[in-house]
Amino acid sequence: MEAEAAKLLAAGLCMGLGAIGSGVGEGYVGGRALEAMARNPKVADKIFTNMIVAIALAESTAIYSLVVSLIILFVF
Amino acid sequence: MANLPDINVAPPVLFNIGPFEISNAMIGMWGVTLILLIWAVVVRHKSGIIPSRAQVLFEGIMEFMWDKMLIAFGSEKRAHRFFPLILTIFLTLLVANQFMLIPFVESIVTADGVQLFRAPASHYSLPIIYTVTILIISHILALAVKPIRHIGNFIKLDELFKIRKLKDIPMALLNVFLGLLDIVGEFAKLASLSTRLFGNLFAGSIIVGIIGGLTAYTQFIVPIPFVVLGILSGIVQAFVFAMLSILYISSTLNSVSPPETAAAGQATN
Repeated sequence: MEAEAAKLLAAGLCMGLGAIGSGVGEGYVGGRALEAMARNPKVADKIFTNMIVAIALAESTAIYSLVVSLIILFVF
Repeated sequence: MANLPDINVAPPVLFNIGPFEISNAMIGMWGVTLILLIWAVVVRHKSGIIPSRAQVLFEGIMEFMWDKMLIAFGSEKRAHRFFPLILTIFLTLLVANQFMLIPFVESIVTADGVQLFRAPASHYSLPIIYTVTILIISHILALAVKPIRHIGNFIKLDELFKIRKLKDIPMALLNVFLGLLDIVGEFAKLASLSTRLFGNLFAGSIIVGIIGGLTAYTQFIVPIPFVVLGILSGIVQAFVFAMLSILYISSTLNSVSPPETAAAGQATN
């Protein structure tokens, strides 16, 4: 395999595999937050901001893999 | 890979002032500073009982952050002390993440064909300097309040003195090890907080560039959803960065000295 092909493959695999966990996590957080909001609409605002923070935390692994794949693509 | 834009992780250096390299992200940051200064002067100049639009916007943001800080710190005095720092970071990131939306800002190029402005947070220096500031402030203040206890949160020698029976030894050793792991956790905070902001902003600009550069037909309407997504993620990331810095400072500080319960009870009402 050429080096260029390996690079592109590595970047794609890195992004794709790295996004699995954060996708599952974000879906779980969002679903549970909606459940809680439906059960208790009074505190929906509070739950919403906390949900945003939790989603951003869950997203971070995907962002790491994104940064790594961008570095693979554009720096090396 | 037809005509992709020139993508650099490190921003191009435009010129040097002495030993300092002035990159286009830095010039973007000067623009952000200018906007914030003008906003501050307008709000200050026209502030009154009947608020202007700029004042309403500013007061809305301020109260929003104040509520969050009151909940996180648990004491009004302590929240008041950190309010300027957190609000500065939040307002700066809020403006900086939307800076490239100003018309024609993205189109200005220098003689070498390099963009004059770039989203400030897509230069890794800005997120990392904010993160380092937040972490250093939290640790220095915790050390200043109760140095022994703060160090003891990481190097848990006191667990070893609690051993009464032979059965307690594994648990005590585990706790000591977990305390040492928290030191690694502090460095993980540094990496995660800064990379999150950088990655989102950098990816936002790159995706629009790539979509626009794919073919001649995708230059006009197709990038619009991605621009909208960039606006949303810019606002959310500014909020998340401020929120997490509040949490880091308050958790470190409250672990060494819990806030007064009377003030905490008042805050939750």
